[in-house]
Amino acid sequence: MNINPDEIFDTTSYNIDREAHIVLDTEVCKDCDQRACVNCCPARCYTWDEENRKMTFVHDACLECGTCYVVCGKDAFTRWRYPRGGFGVSFRMT
Amino acid sequence: MKRTYDAIIVGAGPAGSSAALTMARAGLDVVLLERGDFPGEKNMFGGVLHRLTALEDIFPDFWNQAPLERHVVKKTLTFMTGESSFNVNFDTEASDRPPYNGYTIYRPHFDRWLAEEAVKAGATLLVRSTVDDVIIEKGRVVGVTMLRDGSELRAPVVIAADGVLSFTAKKAGLRRPRFNPSHQAIGVKAMVDMPKAVIDDRFGLVRDQGASNEIVGCSAGVRGGGFLYTNYDSLSIGLVLHLSSLSESGKTPYDLLNDFVKQPQMSKLLRGGRLLEYSAHLVPEGGYEMMPEIVGDGILVAGDAAAMCIVTGLNLEGINLATQSGVLAGKAVVEAHKNFDFSRAGLGVYRRLLEDSYVLKDLKLYRRTPGMLHNNRIYSQYPDMVCSLMDEIYRIDGTPKDTMTKLLLRTAKEKIGLKNLLADVYTGWRAL
Repeated sequence: MNINPDEIFDTTSYNIDREAHIVLDTEVCKDCDQRACVNCCPARCYTWDEENRKMTFVHDACLECGTCYVVCGKDAFTRWRYPRGGFGVSFRMT
Repeated sequence: MKRTYDAIIVGAGPAGSSAALTMARAGLDVVLLERGDFPGEKNMFGGVLHRLTALEDIFPDFWNQAPLERHVVKKTLTFMTGESSFNVNFDTEASDRPPYNGYTIYRPHFDRWLAEEAVKAGATLLVRSTVDDVIIEKGRVVGVTMLRDGSELRAPVVIAADGVLSFTAKKAGLRRPRFNPSHQAIGVKAMVDMPKAVIDDRFGLVRDQGASNEIVGCSAGVRGGGFLYTNYDSLSIGLVLHLSSLSESGKTPYDLLNDFVKQPQMSKLLRGGRLLEYSAHLVPEGGYEMMPEIVGDGILVAGDAAAMCIVTGLNLEGINLATQSGVLAGKAVVEAHKNFDFSRAGLGVYRRLLEDSYVLKDLKLYRRTPGMLHNNRIYSQYPDMVCSLMDEIYRIDGTPKDTMTKLLLRTAKEKIGLKNLLADVYTGWRAL
């Protein structure tokens, strides 16, 4: 058994909203010396490209846990809310 | 659609549904808002539902009514290193008969059932309903707006039972705008498919008996712990990790979880299992110290939204506190309707009811525990010390033995340092 966030859609169900419920100002991330979101996010939604100094965030696999909201030390979110009703992650038996 | 109610409850988890159930049974016209497709769809927890004394009047034979997996009779605390584990087991027949002392459950099943009970009692449940904002008029909360279409729902009182991040409490100005990462932990969990007979054999269980296992020393030095619970025909295994410590470590929760399930003792228990579902959720581990204001003008806060969570390292309490606080919030609103006073003072009875109940008493009692648990030594040095000690005691290798006292002192000195040991014993004694 191995948990691989790249294969999260095989084991966790979603009804993905096209409209992102989390919006990040990635300019802010350039000046961040922690970027705790990258390692703390349990669904690996954040990737930091050191070469191009660029943060990428994709909301599709978001588990709606709030970890990024709590660990971000830079207030980089221009929006952080739960998805619209009926959208997002759908736990079946957890 | 109707737009005005006697009370609005945000969040159909254990706190919200308990509040709705209490108020509906008292004849109030209440609406329960759930952002998921059904209640429980967004909810996840470590795994043991403690006895819900708050609901025992309503469900006298709860264990026959609620959708439960197994009742827990076997509790184990494990100190673990990469290759050893030292277990403390507690088995009791007393937990094998009603009223049982705890259960494993699936949240999407359990939370849905509890919300449906509130509906049976007369509450209105609106699913797929994410709240966008609270409506404040003359300094008083008088309703909420919905994210879907900006429509308004109005009531003289709102109960914020919207979980650990509680944007409802935030928007009403009751919680601080920022969380302290050292007050929050992330739980990551894997559900593992396993036939009932295999679980029964592997864990020494019969009928619907269940086992729960808390593990210390399995998180590569990151502050936190592991858990393993038996469901009817699946296992829940996961880690709870303090966010401040995880963030400093640079490690990822899934790598830590993968290492944990591969630890030799754990991997034997999981052998043949197949991953069914992966999930994550925050735990408001700060408890009493991170509680928001729980009463405002026209608003009450209950459950995780109010940080009602107790972590002692042995027990993790949340749903029982949520349920109790939901029931008491419901009672306070019923009182407020009698007096037609929804001001902070009029709703203040909620705080008094909580203070008289075990909820606030226990939260206060264990207020120092989260601080004690912020000691990194607990998560690597102590498990290492216990396992080395046991190894020396059991190992027959042709060298002469020390007395037990000498052995204990030497191991403690080597692994912890005597000064640290004394300090930790003192902190532990004060916290517990």
